[in-house]
Amino acid sequence: MKPTVPDAIATAIRTVLHDTGRDAKDVAPAMLLSTDLGLDSLDLAQTIVLLERSLGVDPFRAEAAGRPSIRTVGDLIAIYTEAVSRS
Amino acid sequence: MTSLDLSRVHAEPAAERLAVAIDETARQDASRLAVVADAGGPSRRAVAYADLAKSISAVEAALAAARPAGVVVRARRVESLVAVAAACGRQGVPVALVPDDARDLVGELRDWLVVDDSLAVSAGGRQRDALYSGPPHVVVATSGTSGPPKLVQRTWDAVLSAARLAEQWQGLGWLLAYDATRWAGIQVWGQSLLTGGRLVVPASRDPDVVARALVEERVAILPATPTLLRRLLASADPGLLAAAKPERITLGGEAADGPLLAKARDMFPAARITHVYATTELGEVFRVADGQPGFPAAWLGRELPGGVRISTRRDGELLVQLSRDSAEVATGDVVERRGDRFEFTGRRSDVIVVGGAKVFPKRVEEVLRGVSGVVEARVYGQPSAITGELVAAEIVLADPLPAGSTPEGIRAAALAACRDSLEPHGVPRILDLVKRITTTSAGKTSRRPAVVR
Repeated sequence: MKPTVPDAIATAIRTVLHDTGRDAKDVAPAMLLSTDLGLDSLDLAQTIVLLERSLGVDPFRAEAAGRPSIRTVGDLIAIYTEAVSRS
Repeated sequence: MTSLDLSRVHAEPAAERLAVAIDETARQDASRLAVVADAGGPSRRAVAYADLAKSISAVEAALAAARPAGVVVRARRVESLVAVAAACGRQGVPVALVPDDARDLVGELRDWLVVDDSLAVSAGGRQRDALYSGPPHVVVATSGTSGPPKLVQRTWDAVLSAARLAEQWQGLGWLLAYDATRWAGIQVWGQSLLTGGRLVVPASRDPDVVARALVEERVAILPATPTLLRRLLASADPGLLAAAKPERITLGGEAADGPLLAKARDMFPAARITHVYATTELGEVFRVADGQPGFPAAWLGRELPGGVRISTRRDGELLVQLSRDSAEVATGDVVERRGDRFEFTGRRSDVIVVGGAKVFPKRVEEVLRGVSGVVEARVYGQPSAITGELVAAEIVLADPLPAGSTPEGIRAAALAACRDSLEPHGVPRILDLVKRITTTSAGKTSRRPAVVR
């Protein structure tokens, strides 16, 4: 069974932090990916691959231009919720 | 054991040499085994030289009647493939040896006759042009490791040029771990059958099956890619391995690293271990037999056996000049100096670009394999919309695991080892534990993204 989008995102971010030797954190929608969670572009790229595995979609692949801004965990949740509903 | 009159084999035109050598061995020692197929498995099949010679004559008679423009071999059995190839050579008919993954290229040869394991040569199809006078040749597919596979034409002289016919090479058992239609595989069966050898084809690439074939068929020569040898040493039953007695191990197709060479020496102390550097375009360039990875730095700019000269480009790419009159060729292989050696860093086309930074997968694999509990590793580029690519890896764990360790602990240790010895962009972002790493049909470590189910 597929996890819910917020659960999958929280799991992916915790895996990224764990794999890179950082402390796991609680993940909340209002958190800023960069300042609050310390994620850089490599971390974000890893998160997206992990989410493609757990949710079966990669909303960033098709969007070469006009990528929506992703600053918070909530932004990710919105993008993935829409992508999952379209898949 | 009677030996072949190899001066006679030498004297034949290259295209006829295989058929002549097989006939000659059959005449001297009819029951000697030419091919042991499905070795190490339950349905072992042995083919004597006399049987092989008979098949060749039968195919030749049919070819002489049908006069096809060319023959595409579509045989599952190695002995069929060899019989058709040898018959085509002696009859002057061009022959195509095409692996499964290059089958869609055969459309280029649609006028040619297809011959399968039945060895039946049907009439029909376009006949050979009476005025056709080019030398009989062999059509093979390039490996497709870099770029899509394509069909290329090779003369029989080129196909058999690396075969060694000296007395010491006669009547040995050769392991065919490669696809028989690939260049490396053709070299093995060509060499074996030209010298009255016994070609041993394992029933599968399963490490235990290969090890059993080595022992039961008394294989003397073990040609393999480093990936296949590593899998054999890591996963085959140690008791079987200890009973295997290869005299020579010839590694090729990929660079051999120091730890693998050391492990092979430990397991097979009596074997002479050679590493061959060859490319599809150039054939064999040089061999290294000192048991060390890479090659001596002193070789650069000096004339090597056969008149070969090697040099490097500013970025480390290896350049080869086969002879004084030939042009310098860029090989696509990147080397770097370590002490008094040049070691292979990897293929230029294998480079993973992460946010503009280059990562050679081979370097990452070496770090992963150095971790206790990891026996095999494969690194590839995972496409990413954010960074272009990410470094991704698969590792195979030792079975049984080292005492006191867990899969999760080994995985964490592998990531920590990468963080300690690699640039941040070189550390795998995806690291999966797998039962077996993906290899190409040529027996090399695949660089393609994993298929996640």
